Amino acid sequence: MKNTKLYTPPVFHIISTNTAKWGNPLGLKKTDCASWAKGLQLPTKGKTILYTGCEYQMTAYIQSLVEVLKRVKFKDALFSAFSGLQTAGVKLGVGLMEAYKKATSRETEHYNQLLSMAALTLRKLGIDFAHLDGELYSGALLYEYGLFEEFEKQAKRVADQFKEAGVTKIITLTPHSAEILQQVYPRFIANFNFEVIPYVSSVAEALNKLSTRLSLPEPLTLTLHDPCHLARSLKVTEEPREVLRAITNLDFREVALNRESTCCCGAPCETIFHELSELVASRRVEELSATGAEVAATLCPFCYANLNRGVNLTGKKLRIVDFIEIIYQALEANNART
Amino acid sequence: MPEPKQIFEEYYKELLHAAHDHNIALGISRSLSAYRERRARALERFPHTVKLAEEVRQLKEDCVGRLDELVQRAAASLKENGAQVYYAESAGDALKIIGEIVGSGKVVLSAKTLTGEEVGLRRHLEGLGNEFWETDVGEFIQQLREEKPMHYLGPCLHVTREQVAELLTNFLGREIPPDAEVEVRTIREFLRSKYFKADFGISGCNVMAADSGSIFLLESEGNIRMLTNLPPVHIVLVGIDKVVPTFHDAFKVAEVTWRYGGFTIPLYISTVSGPSATGDIEYTMVRGASGPLELHVVFLDNGRSTLAKDPVLKEALYCLKCGGCLFECPIFQLIAGHYGGHGYFGGVGAILTAYMGGGFEEAAPIAYTCLRCGRCTEVCPQSIDLSKLIPELRHRIDQKS
Repeated sequence: MKNTKLYTPPVFHIISTNTAKWGNPLGLKKTDCASWAKGLQLPTKGKTILYTGCEYQMTAYIQSLVEVLKRVKFKDALFSAFSGLQTAGVKLGVGLMEAYKKATSRETEHYNQLLSMAALTLRKLGIDFAHLDGELYSGALLYEYGLFEEFEKQAKRVADQFKEAGVTKIITLTPHSAEILQQVYPRFIANFNFEVIPYVSSVAEALNKLSTRLSLPEPLTLTLHDPCHLARSLKVTEEPREVLRAITNLDFREVALNRESTCCCGAPCETIFHELSELVASRRVEELSATGAEVAATLCPFCYANLNRGVNLTGKKLRIVDFIEIIYQALEANNART
Repeated sequence: MPEPKQIFEEYYKELLHAAHDHNIALGISRSLSAYRERRARALERFPHTVKLAEEVRQLKEDCVGRLDELVQRAAASLKENGAQVYYAESAGDALKIIGEIVGSGKVVLSAKTLTGEEVGLRRHLEGLGNEFWETDVGEFIQQLREEKPMHYLGPCLHVTREQVAELLTNFLGREIPPDAEVEVRTIREFLRSKYFKADFGISGCNVMAADSGSIFLLESEGNIRMLTNLPPVHIVLVGIDKVVPTFHDAFKVAEVTWRYGGFTIPLYISTVSGPSATGDIEYTMVRGASGPLELHVVFLDNGRSTLAKDPVLKEALYCLKCGGCLFECPIFQLIAGHYGGHGYFGGVGAILTAYMGGGFEEAAPIAYTCLRCGRCTEVCPQSIDLSKLIPELRHRIDQKS
């Protein structure tokens, strides 16, 4: 094997530096990550926790990061513009952060609302849970990009946080966190014995026990975009459908590529090959749109954001919603009636 | 050798160009629906294939740990059958060995061979002053287009019949209409004029049996039968990962390969185990009857034994090259064979490229293109777990950066 130094995309450096320094790949402050929980009076200690992995919080900024990468002519001049990155290190990382942190407050507000709906839903369903103060990112991206040393360090920090808080069961809000905690952590961390359960599975289980029928305030035709890692790595395909079946006033349309045959939203390559990411998103939107549904629900913040880009690019009359909104609305309407 | 950064940049340019190529989009969308239909029909008619695929996965897991032993056994069988056997450590070795067998000024015909593509065989033999023809219709078209193949099964799935007509018209100097049937007849006529004139026929090998030395060749065009039978010398370039213990095992691998490639049955399944021979006169064995006088088998390592020793990435060697994953891959659907290097495509292709020829420099941008969405694993007969393998490959790349 030759001894040439290999080239890796500059975004890796931003992600690993930020995770080491701030606990998340985009360098958000702990207060940014936790602001959604203000006013909800969630306990900060408990055996069962809701783990957001800071992913919804980051999503508002990812598009701006992609825009910044594009502005420095990602596709043409990237290679020269960033050639000093390895040595410039944190300095450039911080400069970039300042630029991409100018995400609109409207977006941040929206993702915070989704998080609070997610928590309120669990509460309404009678699930006791805490939310850890100063929650850390799982390190999923570090693992996916092969930055194993950095990933292992982050995973240890996360595992220690769980142990110190006396956690035994983790309800993971996002598929990426769920996959990483359930399937990858045990390979990297000794004695990682926590019960990891995807959010939608705990919702489905609780609804089942309550055996209440829910209803949407207005009739809605809806299709479901199964996130890849939820459907394929975690094999969670029936739970979201069970929940949807429990809701009346909802006309469910199955998309052709569903469950474990779902198609990627394109998000994974958006910081490296954003053009491909957009094309994949557009195709998926076409497929979802072909169901004739008014809305497509998904269960992952990255799918949510990228499918929205796909809608903008294709001009399709399709609204992308988070599954959290649907179940929250249905529970609200139910409360209003009872 | 260009710098890794430059390789990345070039790849990016090629990728963007391909992503906006209307013919790729059209070709893939047509092929994808046809493939899905064919595969579903093939599996429905032969439902035992799913279980057989699991068996083949176990077989490959077992074989990858004893490549040396299997190759030795296969070589011994082949020698006993009258074949000449060579071992090529690298692509360069393979080119040298085959170059010496062929020499110059000869007519060489080739079947679609991934190993040939991997080592750059056509360019090398042409460079030595030989006339070289690809005989698979798709490969022949790609040869005329001076372009690399785009898929294991459909090398020119992005080329329209209008483009083929134009290509053939220019090549032959007479008007060929944009009609697929006329085009295929025209290529048939041209190639059939070559089979008897050819000095060498070169093929790859879909799978090989160690106990009998049998080389399995799957096809529907009939070109492989022609070029492995008519020219006086047949040369086989086979990866060492292709050898399985028995003829029966080899048949299982072959069946799973074609079925997941979307075939109920390939129209021709050939096995070649040695040069033709007869003992009809006084029961004395004479090599070279109606078929070839000589069979040369070149076993190609070229990084395979290194890959076979990698505790995680060795899984990439279980790939049968049925091509099913490529049709289903959201990235492949956009940029076809540009998502690959050295003749190997997609996520598994990134691993094969890293170890078998292209090196990690060439594999890196391919590895970073993978979405890690797992759609390929879902349709893979070998259930190759790319969402686990790709982070591992990227980790190897990161360690070298």
